[in-house]
Amino acid sequence: MELFGNLLDGIGGVVTPINLMLLASGVLLGMVVGVMPGLGPSAGLAILLPLTFGLDPTGAIVMLAAVYYGAMYGGTITSVLINTPGESATVASTFDGYPLARQGRAAPALVMAAIASFVAGTVGAILISVAAPPTAALAANFGPPELFLVVVLGLLTLIVVVGKNRLLGAVSVLLGFLLATVGIDIGGGEQRYTFGSTQLINGIDFIPVAIGLFGIGEILLTLYRGGHLERLRYFKVGARSRRFWPTRKDFGESRGAIARGSVLGFFVGATPGAGATVASLMSYSVEKSVSRTPEKFGKGAMPGLAGPEAANNAASSGAMVPLLTLGIPGSASTAVLLAAFLMWGLQPGPLLMDQEPELAWGLIGSMYLGNIMLVVLNIFCIPLFASMAKVPFRILGPIVIVLCTLGTFSVHGSIVEVGIMFACGVLGFVMRLYGLSPAALVIALVLGPLAEQTLRQSMIISGGSFDVFLSRPVSLVLLCVIPLIAMLPMISKLTRNRLARKRATESPTPTGRH
Amino acid sequence: MRKNKGVLAATLALSMVLTACGSGEYVGDAADYPEQDLEWTIAFGPGGGNDIMARVLVDILQQENLYPHNIAVENRQGGSGAIGWGYLLSNSGDPYHASTTSGSFLTTPLQADTGWTYADFTLVGQLATDDSVFAVQSGNGIDSWREWTEFAKKQGTVTVGGIGTVNVDFIVHALLADQVGYEVDYVPFDEEGQLQTALTSGALQAITSNPAEIAGQIDAGRMTGLLFTGSEPLNRFPEIPTAESQGFTNMVSMPRGLILPPNVPPEIRDWWVRTMRKAVRDPRWQDYLDKNDLTRNEVWGEQFRKELGQTAERFQAILRKHGAI
Repeated sequence: MELFGNLLDGIGGVVTPINLMLLASGVLLGMVVGVMPGLGPSAGLAILLPLTFGLDPTGAIVMLAAVYYGAMYGGTITSVLINTPGESATVASTFDGYPLARQGRAAPALVMAAIASFVAGTVGAILISVAAPPTAALAANFGPPELFLVVVLGLLTLIVVVGKNRLLGAVSVLLGFLLATVGIDIGGGEQRYTFGSTQLINGIDFIPVAIGLFGIGEILLTLYRGGHLERLRYFKVGARSRRFWPTRKDFGESRGAIARGSVLGFFVGATPGAGATVASLMSYSVEKSVSRTPEKFGKGAMPGLAGPEAANNAASSGAMVPLLTLGIPGSASTAVLLAAFLMWGLQPGPLLMDQEPELAWGLIGSMYLGNIMLVVLNIFCIPLFASMAKVPFRILGPIVIVLCTLGTFSVHGSIVEVGIMFACGVLGFVMRLYGLSPAALVIALVLGPLAEQTLRQSMIISGGSFDVFLSRPVSLVLLCVIPLIAMLPMISKLTRNRLARKRATESPTPTGRH
Repeated sequence: MRKNKGVLAATLALSMVLTACGSGEYVGDAADYPEQDLEWTIAFGPGGGNDIMARVLVDILQQENLYPHNIAVENRQGGSGAIGWGYLLSNSGDPYHASTTSGSFLTTPLQADTGWTYADFTLVGQLATDDSVFAVQSGNGIDSWREWTEFAKKQGTVTVGGIGTVNVDFIVHALLADQVGYEVDYVPFDEEGQLQTALTSGALQAITSNPAEIAGQIDAGRMTGLLFTGSEPLNRFPEIPTAESQGFTNMVSMPRGLILPPNVPPEIRDWWVRTMRKAVRDPRWQDYLDKNDLTRNEVWGEQFRKELGQTAERFQAILRKHGAI
């Protein structure tokens, strides 16, 4: 029990009536910000950071941790309900979350996502307690070659995301890479495809593209298919109604997905760079690979939502490890937290946990409490959110368009990005019409530049030799894992076939249990 | 009908001429300045270095009533400062706009067609400079600048890292290498976290970084600071020698200052110089400088313009020489 003493102290230190109120209001505020398409945890933290200036450090930490979780869950809500991810880590949640909502199962999907997040948060808090030092040592060994290989792992999941539609999938990925080349090239400082515009020198951001492709694209597609003329099937959702809760079958299917997603998410999340995004995508492809019914994925499979949700949540715990034990931010959100530390006069670094244990464990403890608060609040809020599915399209559609526009504009206050968002809306519609994959495009857009940058850094370091991937132990291990992950779908297909055959031979002789 | 159109066209033309006159010329009486609220543009996002500095300054100006009207702070980020300072440029002649600068004020125009350079603006003054620490991983037998130069010269070419390419990190590495006599393979990063893990993972042999961002690593003994580019040693790490003490006389640093839109009358610029001289005496400013390891370095008005010009020219020359622009 001593191992968890710090964690329990941390939780104990923040449980005061005022802190609990801050926690609840932080989760709510975070959720409100996160529900705006485009505003994910990092934007939410940056926007709400000034609110915490009047508080003492503990109160501020409690509030920020709560905002973090609230915003993350807010992003899940938009992914499920209107197919619009708020940040790259929730792209994978749209794959099955949105189909579930379209089948009228928005409430069970959101409940499952909240439960998956809660379990992952618990696993994350436990893993921080027991595995922080070795995880930190591992993270400190991640140079450009290792990061490149992690990004490659993420890109490999495109094989699963794209599925059978290989040619169109490849076209979608290439479109994503193409958009990713815009901006100043980090290697040489040259401008690529900016056409002299200062608006484009930092490249095309993921957010307007994702909101356009998913949110606006979906609305155009619904209009095209005549969805606005359909009569809605009314159904009642309330915490007492049966349709609110996931079924026993859902839980059975998702149990493994949540467990795998939590552990995978924690460790991948601890690597700097695209941790949460890669983790959620890997979880999705692992779940699809090990599933007995992979054909259901993308059409509303509960494990396809639960796995990535658990993974991206655990990844946010994992990202705390390098922040707290090394003083190195691994994600955009932890970079904002680091800035907040500096503002309170704390020195982030390897000594932070020793010098300020109350604060460090207070942060971990409040993240965990934030998780609990999220589940509790959501039991009340989900019926409200899910009842959005009752709103007729002729009302919901325009609201979504306004929200997408406001959300995109509020991130950087850029009208050019709003233009990009609408252009991507049309692009998303055309892509869906012709069977291309918007998801593959955004994944390529997020991971492409990271892959390019880390590969080029590796090549400068090694003087152009690929030996650098073989001579470093961590990268060698990763290099061995890659073929395994790449072949996972094939292996699981083989074992599935064998199982099916076995079952086929067994079935004529029914077992004697009647 | 036709007559109406004519009148309309004439009115439009007249109003356009008037508007054109209006912009670029301050018509109020400078003696009465300031009479209105001020719009303070931050050319970067919330939470960053420029943002925090601007908010500290605004806080002092408002609380000490140095600026007697309201100051509205607005983040206009994008294009590494190009968008925010471009907005300031578009308010030419309006003395009720201000902005704070950082390194990108010089480097962004070098790599993109921003439509402005430092010389276009009304320059109030430099308040501080950003300097860097040159650091290596601890425990590899290099504990002093001298040991580093011996190591680097023996290697011939060393692998070093920093943030960005058209940036002060690249320039510092190039200057040091040129003068000592070794070659560098410079690896650009765009995030501090990845730069630091690249060093701890052994992929890089040295990095340059902000003192505040690397202090935790030095405290913990994971990294060793070998050289500091500021003119005075850091309070926090007095044992790290300055570049000047090691014989480097012409190091570069990033100027942090205050600017107004182009064509603001000199009397108003002087009003701001007087006001900022008072503002930087506030203990909160010193506290901010200490916490962020910035070097206090005040240069006002014309002298600021001259020094910025020299720095910009040196940046350009070094970057050209090494093929970065």
